[in-house]
Amino acid sequence: MEAAENKIYQDKIVIRLIQFSVVWAVLAISAGVYIAAELVWPTLDFGQYWLSYGRLRPVHTNGVIFGFGVSALMATGFYSVQRTSHVPLFAPRLAWFVCYAWQLIVLLGALSLLAGWNTTKEYAELEWPFDIAIAIVWICFGVVFFGTIAQRKIKPIYISNWFYGALIIVIAMLHVVNSLALPVSIDKSYSAYAGAQDAVVQWWYGHNAVGFLLTGGFLGMVYYFLPKIANRPIWSYRLSVVAFWAFVYAYIWAGPHHLHYNAIPEWVQSLGVIMSVILLAPSWATLVNGVMTVSTAWEKLRTDPALKFIVLSLAFYGLATFEGPMMAIRSVNVVSHFTDWTVGHVHSGALGWNAMITYGTFYFLVPRLAGRELYSTRLANIHFWLAFAGTMLYIIAMWAAGVSQGLLWLSIDGLGELSFDFKDIMASMTPYYLLRLIAGLVFLLGTVLMAYNLFMTLKGQRAVKVAPPAVDPAYGVNA
Amino acid sequence: MFIFLGDMLVMAFMIGLAIWLGSRGTKEALDRTSRIPLEDED
Repeated sequence: MEAAENKIYQDKIVIRLIQFSVVWAVLAISAGVYIAAELVWPTLDFGQYWLSYGRLRPVHTNGVIFGFGVSALMATGFYSVQRTSHVPLFAPRLAWFVCYAWQLIVLLGALSLLAGWNTTKEYAELEWPFDIAIAIVWICFGVVFFGTIAQRKIKPIYISNWFYGALIIVIAMLHVVNSLALPVSIDKSYSAYAGAQDAVVQWWYGHNAVGFLLTGGFLGMVYYFLPKIANRPIWSYRLSVVAFWAFVYAYIWAGPHHLHYNAIPEWVQSLGVIMSVILLAPSWATLVNGVMTVSTAWEKLRTDPALKFIVLSLAFYGLATFEGPMMAIRSVNVVSHFTDWTVGHVHSGALGWNAMITYGTFYFLVPRLAGRELYSTRLANIHFWLAFAGTMLYIIAMWAAGVSQGLLWLSIDGLGELSFDFKDIMASMTPYYLLRLIAGLVFLLGTVLMAYNLFMTLKGQRAVKVAPPAVDPAYGVNA
Repeated sequence: MFIFLGDMLVMAFMIGLAIWLGSRGTKEALDRTSRIPLEDED
């Protein structure tokens, strides 16, 4: 029995990770909607610390990035690395440990944030006990992933695995270096770095967490699932290899653009600008590759909700990766920084790119894993339009709010004093914040529809048993 | 100035590396590799 199990792909764990990912999506987006409402009606915290914006905001970001995003990356990474290596997952018990231990970290981490434990480092808010746990589980994730590649039956390592591999290696490096700290109690530690150095290390981490997790990891998803869904090979494999190396090299330098006009050397800021603009090339190389791949499969767009989501995600990927380098330019950044424009930019990536590509992949994967048709294609199509409308409304509201804030804050009178009071500027933002709340609700409604649709598709089903195919001798590891 | 020159040298090396890595492999081998996701299930 066990021998037979060893010859099929380990897909039960993929299903479980997708389930966790969807649950986190609903919970974390709900937390986002709630804090959006608090920005319109501040008394919604009811005087409770744990309901305050300051505590719920990191619960929202950690839940989306580490709960929804990382669970989805683990699921799709495990699914694709087995198939592109033609072997079942290496150390399946360790993979199950990674699956459950990660969920426990995200859950307890969220509770600790509600309790007020917070390092105050953005996207690295969890305190030192969680940092140690994250490092251990992440290394185990790497052992399973690279162990599977090491025992592969075919010689080439497909491009998606390079992106997932870069995600695992770089995030481990960023997490360990940025989290170095001196603990003083179970819930408090002090960073090993101070002042401007702390800021540089933090944004080296923060920007590359966006780069290698929210961009690189999800590009791995694109390179495997887009050809799979479109049933065509990637348009230019050579371009994908060049794009990978250029992406890896350029991204790691771009962090200082978060620290313009701060107490760091000007050349460091300039380096951040140059590398951010260079990033346009590898980012758009992937965009071109993706669009050209799907360009011969337009007819599938009419009928396949998964492909619709993925093509739309590429459009938002193109938008966000153009907007990012532009915002890194100092003369643009002087307007955009510290405004809601940044929030709009982040959400064009998070909703339009990360969530859409993940939703499309789930709509493709779950019916295949369950061995039956999607419960409702109509619901999936409704979800598509809700997601599209919610994302557009969100980013337009935040662009308008952000540009207004930036220009009003820069406006000075003849005496060199601010023309407008900060409080008055913020009070004038209420209509935009209300629009953002509506956008979030629309997006959340679509996500709930997907959760129901996928639940009904999986209901009562077991994972279909799929075996690796025979290896073409031309591909073989000994070829 | 030295930091700038050093950075330009590293950048030139990485651009060269990316081009070299991108130019490796025959068209046939790359085409075969690109088909992996389409032929990975029994």
